[in-house]
Amino acid sequence: MRRTNWRHFDFWLLGAVAVLTIVGVTMIRSAVAGNIELAELDLVRRQLIFAGVGFVVMIVIAAIDYRLWASLNRTLYYGMAVVLAVLFITGAVLFGSARWFDTGVILIQPSEFAKLVMVLVLADFFTRNKELVGQLSTVGRSLLLTMGIVIWILLQPNLSTSIVIIVIWFALLWAAGLRVKHLLLFGLAGLVTPFIGYPFLAEYQQRRILNFLFQDPEARHGDIYNIQQALISIGSGGWLGKGYGYGSQVQLRFLKIRWSDYIFSAMAEEFGFIGTTVVMFLLLFVIYRCLRAARLSRDTFGALICYGVATMLSFQAIVNIGVNLNMMPATGLTLPFISYGGSSLLSALIGIGLVESVVLHHKSLEF
Amino acid sequence: MNQERFLRYAMLAGLLTILAAMIAGQMLRFQFDSEQAAKIRRRAEAYSRSAQTVYPARGQIYDRWGHLLAGNTTVYEVGVELQQVLNPHSIALTLNVVLGLDYAQVRQAVENPASPDAVYVVLDDFVPQGKIDLLEQYRTDILASTSASRDKDRPSLNGLVFTPHLQRTYPEHSLASNVLGFVGRDQEGRAIGYFGVEARYDDQLAGQPVTVWMPNDPKLVTETPTVPEGTSLILTIDREVQAEMEAVLDQALESSGAASGTIVVLDPKTGEILAMATTPRLDLNKYWRYDQVFKKDTPFNRAISQAYEPGSVFKVFTMASALDKGAVKPETTFLDTGVIEVGGVYIYNWNRGVWGPQDMQGCLQHSLNVCLAWVATQIGTGDFYPYLNAFGIGHLTGVDMAGEMSGRLKVPGDADWYEADLGTNSFGQGVAATPLQMAAGIAAVANEGKMMVPHVVKARIIDGVQYETEPRIAGMPISADTAKNLQVLLARSLQDEASTALVEGYKIAGKTGTAEIPTPFGYTSGQTNASFVGWGPVDDPRFLVYIWLEKPQSSIWGSEVAAPVFSEAASKLVVLLNIPPDRERKALYSQ
Repeated sequence: MRRTNWRHFDFWLLGAVAVLTIVGVTMIRSAVAGNIELAELDLVRRQLIFAGVGFVVMIVIAAIDYRLWASLNRTLYYGMAVVLAVLFITGAVLFGSARWFDTGVILIQPSEFAKLVMVLVLADFFTRNKELVGQLSTVGRSLLLTMGIVIWILLQPNLSTSIVIIVIWFALLWAAGLRVKHLLLFGLAGLVTPFIGYPFLAEYQQRRILNFLFQDPEARHGDIYNIQQALISIGSGGWLGKGYGYGSQVQLRFLKIRWSDYIFSAMAEEFGFIGTTVVMFLLLFVIYRCLRAARLSRDTFGALICYGVATMLSFQAIVNIGVNLNMMPATGLTLPFISYGGSSLLSALIGIGLVESVVLHHKSLEF
Repeated sequence: MNQERFLRYAMLAGLLTILAAMIAGQMLRFQFDSEQAAKIRRRAEAYSRSAQTVYPARGQIYDRWGHLLAGNTTVYEVGVELQQVLNPHSIALTLNVVLGLDYAQVRQAVENPASPDAVYVVLDDFVPQGKIDLLEQYRTDILASTSASRDKDRPSLNGLVFTPHLQRTYPEHSLASNVLGFVGRDQEGRAIGYFGVEARYDDQLAGQPVTVWMPNDPKLVTETPTVPEGTSLILTIDREVQAEMEAVLDQALESSGAASGTIVVLDPKTGEILAMATTPRLDLNKYWRYDQVFKKDTPFNRAISQAYEPGSVFKVFTMASALDKGAVKPETTFLDTGVIEVGGVYIYNWNRGVWGPQDMQGCLQHSLNVCLAWVATQIGTGDFYPYLNAFGIGHLTGVDMAGEMSGRLKVPGDADWYEADLGTNSFGQGVAATPLQMAAGIAAVANEGKMMVPHVVKARIIDGVQYETEPRIAGMPISADTAKNLQVLLARSLQDEASTALVEGYKIAGKTGTAEIPTPFGYTSGQTNASFVGWGPVDDPRFLVYIWLEKPQSSIWGSEVAAPVFSEAASKLVVLLNIPPDRERKALYSQ
């Protein structure tokens, strides 16, 4: 049994994450300033509470030997599947659609945690089957395993989180040693899937994609409004931004969902190109530290966990910023650590906790 | 193994890095690509400022004593910001309860706006303050009771917007509606004056709207432009006199059965119009009922917009011209044989009677067509028409209300003028004039030969400074002596006749008129226009009243229908205008 050695704790990673979280809360505060209805929801305090709880949970998770999760993976997997299934069924009956569990005090979005569960479960799966990854049947089994969770999230419907999990699966599969010929096969499938899948998307999802691909000059105002306002916000920020609390797009609420999906644009307006570049470098640094942890890890399980978390964070960040910059169709993916969203923040912090745990427990011998 | 895994992941990381690099590229493009940046900046500029036209409050309109006749009140446009609507049901229900709007229609308008691009939809307009207060109350109550709920179907008035604007109001409703006109909206929805003073002085009342580019960012708004209010008007109309004249007119219509009526009250010395009552009248606060009130070709203000054949009141002009030219003297005697031929047409008296020798007073008193036609021949074509022109017949009086008509006076040289017209014109046939033209012209007789330009605006208030309208002389068609002589004739003739127009205690001058209404086949309708013109007190005229009743049924004669209306009107006027009876005035002067 490796003992927890806090000397190895990655304080750089912790620091970067802390700075990002603080930037996030600060930006949310500016984004909701003066809006009575949002002020009543008290987003800033909620986010602060989640951040506080998140950092405690992160330390606790870091202290726990990550290999414990390998033994718990069945419990985690089935537990999550049941939670999602129940949410889907009750949600469909009671509200028509639901992504949240209302605990009375806070809303919990289980799909955010499903991403982490899948990181752990898949990391464990590929560790146990690392010799068999070359076989197509193993690949198939891992896909089935993934779909067991993803299906419920797809049905919510929540396409973007589903895609995140698929991406995690693929990244881990690749890292675990997917054969190149199988990769080509998947590449082909990946090319075909969008065309087959498109008719099955919800109407609003189809419209978002169409709006992105073919910018209709006579598009409905509501369809292109958000992205237009996001671009204006980013463009009007300039190099140094208009200053905290002085972004007219943000403060006058031209920019919608500015505390969550479009927080990057809000940041760009108030802190400018320099400010957002700093934030992006911080995110990059966090991902780099995750990869460093993967390299330090002595076992496949730990490394894959770190890869999974890194993939999750980087993919979400890229998609979120990409949407803000009108490079991708609109999705509901949050910017890790920064966007408002308790479950999203908590799951990102737990992910960092897992990575820290891998770092803390990477040495079997102490001299 | 670990190493291979890392390499594999590094490849993946490379892929992600490419995506990240694209993002960096896009960000840099926003910063450096001038075209793209300029495009976004233009769009931002378009959103950041908007042209706001600030319309000044429309000038008020007062009567001569400062009573408000037309003012402004704040009303609200009720609309929805579609993006912010949470619960269309709540909005539709609330507006149904408070404003009485149709539930289904509101819901339809909010949920499926007519235009797909719509961001804002107007639901109602001209909503008074009280209703808005009620709506605000509902909004606060609902918000308070649902603040804890996160149910997406919770009741909410989110998106409901009230935009204040000014609306024209007329506290006296239909009083002097024909003079005032009203403020409606043109095709583009801008406020615009229709008819009367509102139309004539529209640009002055409306003031100068100021269009400014206002930043939408309240932090950048340094000052809101102050817009001077539109010019306010003080009318010559006296609210009390106007109300009395309208009452007298309505009473006269009822008792005579006339189709319509007009009473004009002028101050002959200044041309100020003290009252101008016509039928029908419109409650100006409900101007949209215009079509129902003014059917077909009904003019908004008969006194200025409808010319008619005035009949015998026109004899005042004929006699004035003759006396002024010296063609006849008051004591000139004419032997009435009951018929005279002018230009090949035979002219008879109103009762086809033979009246024997008559002096000029008798001719007027008995309103003898034969005599007046003879008088016209004594003046001659060459002088008669210049006189009528000088009295303003066939010309606009220049009164400051929209929609004045000039009537028609055929003169020698016109294709449709015949020699015979000289005869018929002499007693007011074959000529069309508006009541105001008649009143303004005859007022010259009451004002020592000076004809004043009739007007309704006594003063204008611009930026708090009052500018009086100076009375203007339109011309001097006859000499002061002529005017005096004629006035004596007209006063005596009323007295001697013991006319129903007389007012006890006051010496009045006047003339009746009855004109058959021509049809395409001549004077065959049997319907008449009954008129009366009179003024007083004769020694110091303070008012001139012109009355026209269209198609009276109780009697066709002006002397029987219109003259008593004058008496009624004049007896009200001497009280309202505070004119002491002649005897007391003389006593006062002689002291």
